[in-house]
Formats: sequence, C-alpha cells, structure tokens
Amino acid sequence: MLNKTISVRIDGELITAQEGQTILEVARANGREIPTLCYLKGLSAVGACRVCVVELAGTDRLLPACTTPMQEGMSIVTDSAKLELYRRMAVELLMVERNHICSSCVSNGHCELQSLAQALGVTHVRYAYNNPRLAVDMSHPRFVLDHNRCILCTRCVRACAELEGAHVWEVASRGIYSRIVSDLKDEWGEASNCTGCGKCVQACPTGALAEKGFAVHEMAKESGKISRLAGQRART
Amino acid sequence: MPMAASEIASQVLDAHERLLIDQTIAAHRGRPGALLGILEGVQAANAHKFLSMESLRYIAGETGIPPSRVYSAASFYALFNLEPQGDNVICVCRGTACHTRGSRILLEKVCLDLGLSEHESGESKETEKLALTTADNRFTIRTVACFGQCALAPVVEVNHHILSHVNERTLQREVKALTQGRK
Repeated sequence: MLNKTISVRIDGELITAQEGQTILEVARANGREIPTLCYLKGLSAVGACRVCVVELAGTDRLLPACTTPMQEGMSIVTDSAKLELYRRMAVELLMVERNHICSSCVSNGHCELQSLAQALGVTHVRYAYNNPRLAVDMSHPRFVLDHNRCILCTRCVRACAELEGAHVWEVASRGIYSRIVSDLKDEWGEASNCTGCGKCVQACPTGALAEKGFAVHEMAKESGKISRLAGQRART
Repeated sequence: MPMAASEIASQVLDAHERLLIDQTIAAHRGRPGALLGILEGVQAANAHKFLSMESLRYIAGETGIPPSRVYSAASFYALFNLEPQGDNVICVCRGTACHTRGSRILLEKVCLDLGLSEHESGESKETEKLALTTADNRFTIRTVACFGQCALAPVVEVNHHILSHVNERTLQREVKALTQGRK
C-alpha cells in the first residue's frame, strides 16, 4: 500500500513527503535537524518535552514536530529566533525542576539534555530552582534510578512497554510530584516484571537511569540500539 | 480498640475482600477503560475507603494490566486514596476566596485540635494537597483547591456535607459533635 505523496515546504524549500509522516520525520529525512528530547526513533511519540516545536505558516501556535502529521501544502519553519526562545525556555524549565548537577552526574558529557542546553546556548537559568529532595534507587543489582536527573520524557516507559513488553515503568502522581515508578512503586530491584534487559537505561537521555560501575563522565548511552531494535521489530 | 492506620494499610487481603474485587472486575470485564471503574468500585467497597497496595497488586494480577499502570492511575486521580481514611472526613477549602477569609487558620486550628501536624508528611509544603489521618483513625483532614462555593467562603466539608461561613468556633463544635456522637 503506497501512501499518497504530498508536497510541503520546510524552511522555504519545496519537499515531497508521504502522507502520514510527521513533520519531524519529513524534516530529518531531508537533512533538517530539529532538536528532540522525549522523541526516540522507533518508540511512539508523546510530545512531552516541547523542544521540537516548529512554526507553521498561517498559525501563531507552535506545533510539536514529533506528533504533528504533515499535511498537503504545509509550510514549516524549523529554526527561528522565536523557536530558539521557546526551546531554550523548555530546557531551562526542565533544568529547574530537578537537581541537574552535571559535575556529579554519571552521564556528564554523554547527556542529551546537557548537549541540547549547550546547543541552545543555555548558560544560565532565569527561573528559581525547585531543589526537590529526591531519592536514588540503588536496589537493582545492575542499574540505578536517580530521580534527581529525570526529566519525565517517558522514553524508559515506552521502551519497556513497547519493545520489552514488560511495562515496568510508568509515571505516577502528577504535576511537580510526578515520578517514574517501577511496578507498584516497588523498589526497582523488587519489581517482579523487570527482566533486567537494560533497554530503559539505553533509552534514557540523561543520567536518571544508569548502569552501575560507571564513574562520573562514563555512562554513554546507546539510544541508537533502541531505534534499531524497534526497526527490526517493525519489519518482522 | 481501633486499629492504627499503619496496621490497616499493611493488612493482607482476606477471602471476602478478594471476592469483592473479583466481582468488581467481573462487572467491568471487556469494557474499555475498565481500570478506573474497577479502582472506584474496589475503593468504595473498602471499609476504610482506600486502595491498599495488596488490592492494587491483586487487581493488576487479575486484570493483566501492568502494575505500574494501575499504580499510575491510582496515584494520579485525587479521588483515589492510597492511605486508609478516617471515619470522618473533614475537607478544608484552600482556594483563593477561602484563603482570604482565613481558611489557613481554620486548617491549622483543626489540625491542632486533632493532634495532627501539617508538616508531618515528608514532602508536604504549604501549597501541597494534604491528607492527614489521626492515629485512632477517627478523622481525616484533607485540603481541596476549590469547592466552587466561593460566595460562602470559608467553606469546610464535613462528611460530604458543606458548611459555609465557617469560623473556628463552628468548626470546633462540629468536630466535638462528631467525637461525641461516635463514643
């Protein structure tokens, strides 16, 4: 079944796309980079982080590129002063919410949040820090969950539910009290559904989920593996 | 001797409770979004109007819904209680209108009278929703953002009955009546 071909504009350039593709997919397929955080290729898109917002001609509203389907005749702007402003704001608000202290984080130097902040030129944060007191769950024999670094992107939730099929993770409570929980808020080591596959760790963009035995600066994630696995799964 | 809240919360499910949960699940079988209905039914059937961890685990096991999702739903909605509730529930409105008419003082006063500390529950801050239960399980104090009865501020709900223009005296009298009525 072949999808209908549509023609759209991205940053003024005329591009053909397939109907049903999202703005992000079309943009990336044509070599235009839109920053993302909660999006991970292969997993379902949720539009949680608001970092991939783009401008659409004819509307003042910014649209999340990862969840908005491309439609015939759309004209998209992927980079502008306005977008940069909003993207930077989104990153700053993420920084404010938890204790993102890069210098003592396992993922320092391999962190998507950190890289994104650097790319957007976030040198300081304009809002008051929340400084919540948060626990670190060390109960799993191989992995660590550090709520201080979590940005609630739910990539672990989706990787576990959609790829591993275990659905160990979920977001509990709401608002600023939202936390990632395993099973019935059990300690991770006690979560009976966890297979210990480590997909959530590789999917995590920050140092919130990490493997034990890595020192600061060492925890490099292989989120590409997750996308590859998802791709193979989709083909079968 | 009334049971302490912590004892109630850690109780394992007996056969009767299991049967109740099974019936609730059976009543909702095959319906999309059945989880909320199940949780609501199970909570309503509980003597202390709460969902124990054991019952959540049992629901997850019986329905095949991942435990994390069950917990996520139960913790998201203010309707669900994860702690045993007292016999009497006093709900103090902390909306703006009630706040300006002194609901903060009412809340402090009623907490003092019942021997509860507002800052007891670990993460609790002034703005957070609060649900405290006395050790003898008689009273639960909660706060709510707004009842939508701002013209009657300050508003306090006692056992699902709304009291308007409450002052310290009337609230104290109400609590006293409940305490004596129960003896």
